[in-house]
Amino acid sequence: MTSLDPRFVAQQRVVGRVLVLALSTATMLVLLIVFAAADSLATWARLVLGVCWLAAVTIGAWAAERWPALDYAHTGYQLDDDGLQVRRGVLWQTVTHVPRSRVQHTDVSQGPLERRYGLGTLVVYTAGTDHARVALPGLAHEVARALRDELRAERVDDTV
Amino acid sequence: MTPSEQRLHPASILFDTARYARIFAGPALLALVTSSRGGGPMGRSGYGFPNLDTWMWVLILPSVVLSVARYLSFRLQYEPDQLVIRSGVLFRNVRHLPYARIQNLDAVQNVFHRAFGVVDVRVETGGGSEPEARMSVLPVAALDEMRARVFAGRARPAATEQAAPGLAEQPDVETTSELLHLPLRELLLCGFLENKGMVLVGAAYGALWEAGALNRVWSWLFEGNVDARGLLREVVAALLGRGPLPVGRVFLALGGVAVFLILVRLISMAWAFVRLYDFRLTRRGDDLRATFGLLTRVTATIPLRRVQIVTIDQGWLHRRLGRASVRVETAGGQAGSAVRDREWVAPLIRIERVPHLVAEILPGVVLGDARWEPVHPRAFRRAVKRSIFVALIVTFAITVVIGWRGLAVSVPLVAWAVVTARQHVRHLGWAATSEWVAFRSGWLTRGQTLVKVNRIQAVSTHASPLDRRAAMARVRVDTAGASERSHRVDIPYLGVDVAEALRQRLAAHAARTTFKW
Repeated sequence: MTSLDPRFVAQQRVVGRVLVLALSTATMLVLLIVFAAADSLATWARLVLGVCWLAAVTIGAWAAERWPALDYAHTGYQLDDDGLQVRRGVLWQTVTHVPRSRVQHTDVSQGPLERRYGLGTLVVYTAGTDHARVALPGLAHEVARALRDELRAERVDDTV
Repeated sequence: MTPSEQRLHPASILFDTARYARIFAGPALLALVTSSRGGGPMGRSGYGFPNLDTWMWVLILPSVVLSVARYLSFRLQYEPDQLVIRSGVLFRNVRHLPYARIQNLDAVQNVFHRAFGVVDVRVETGGGSEPEARMSVLPVAALDEMRARVFAGRARPAATEQAAPGLAEQPDVETTSELLHLPLRELLLCGFLENKGMVLVGAAYGALWEAGALNRVWSWLFEGNVDARGLLREVVAALLGRGPLPVGRVFLALGGVAVFLILVRLISMAWAFVRLYDFRLTRRGDDLRATFGLLTRVTATIPLRRVQIVTIDQGWLHRRLGRASVRVETAGGQAGSAVRDREWVAPLIRIERVPHLVAEILPGVVLGDARWEPVHPRAFRRAVKRSIFVALIVTFAITVVIGWRGLAVSVPLVAWAVVTARQHVRHLGWAATSEWVAFRSGWLTRGQTLVKVNRIQAVSTHASPLDRRAAMARVRVDTAGASERSHRVDIPYLGVDVAEALRQRLAAHAARTTFKW
């Protein structure tokens, strides 16, 4: 299987940092409001809450730095005559196999952050239920476009 | 035709703003009400509260900005065999829609649209419930061009534009053959086995309880001052050697339960008689037709090409009596509507007739040819761990509630867990040919699901952390119109290499066929 673009790791780290920053700021504000409002809250309770918050933020920040590389190592794709295979998942690992002739339509999309890193997302749609939408993020944008064209080009069109 | 580009009509900005404004209309009205009638300190005087004009701007401005951005970024391009739609400013998206996949081109034109000479166009491929592309709004001429290009290579462009769908579906030569007929005896048996009486009894119970009639019934049964819970408590006390066993009342209660159960089955039988009276399943050309019903005569038509999955269900009693029931899941068909349905084709059928029926519904499937494969040899070891774990949790809960005596419960519970795990794993099985794939499961109640290869949409392997520790994986076959609750091809406890090979094989077979709605 082919790996994703290595820039995906850097991009996902930025996403993680933004997420952790937003969440920690929000929870800190909530905590400060609670501290200000609840006068009767004992000092030890305040300390415990604060330490819990700090621990959660530290773990979150650590995960945001570590997880993208893990995720990258466990993600891959392969396009051959039969169709597109997408492997995803670190703990719960899934390989989704979409036969070439079952692709209904495709999307290649690019968000602002993806654009900065030259990345794109390929989305393949089928008429299925669980896999009505199979997304493959973290490709180089030109690779995503090339994959889409390739997926279309070699379509076998014999009828049953 | 050469590739050409189409943009939205400038009136799109207007229509879009109106649409967004309608979404914001609720909040805007709320703002209006609160700012004009709020009786608080910041009410009518408006101190610290923006007036209505400001509110309107806050609400309208974003929708105008969004509409303009959409208008400027939207590009529709005709390539020789596909439609390419570009949209988005920050989040850019390029969608490729092959003409061959397009099921429906819907165009809506209301009074306002007509005034501007535009139409609201929706493109559907029949996959999801939402239109795959919405173009709001295009000049009328653009719709004509789109129709011409999309349906250029079609033999019957009229059919896709909803011109008499009923006529188009009739095959020239009709061969009618009866596949199943349920005589009275089978009908009653079907009702007995389905046991749907509980639903009616539940409704009746609720109605009586609401009316307060039940209190009288209970007081008549238990002489006014003892309720059923008291009886249960006395029995438990007797079993623990702390009191006399109330033999008479126990027999009365057991008799009551027995009468109740028989009554439920009788009601179910009567219900089946009314609902399924004179059930006939016939095949006409490429359609299955089921007619049934005593009071309301129902005729259901199932085009065979819409059948995605066939499931054969067998309860414990079904097997004792050599019967089964067969149902199909259908999807799609009507352009763009993606109807998902689960329909009986045989509420009750003799087991020896099932292969014949299946062969009619899924041409090319010969059930007798299936070479059923078991799951991994170590599957039992994993299944039993799980069910013993559940049994121990239940034991723990009981022990917490009634004390140390509760531990005695663990013996039968664990034994039962081992037996069910053993039987569950033993009855798992799968079969795959180049034409179809099947999965069966269940010990007392058994299900067997068949999918033809040309109905497979995607195949996936899943490995949880526990699966990986045991070097196993699960294979799932995705089809159109599969519901989460139904029995489907989802094979657990396969060796990793077996699962991988099965996925590759099914995908390869599926890739060599085409899927048509």
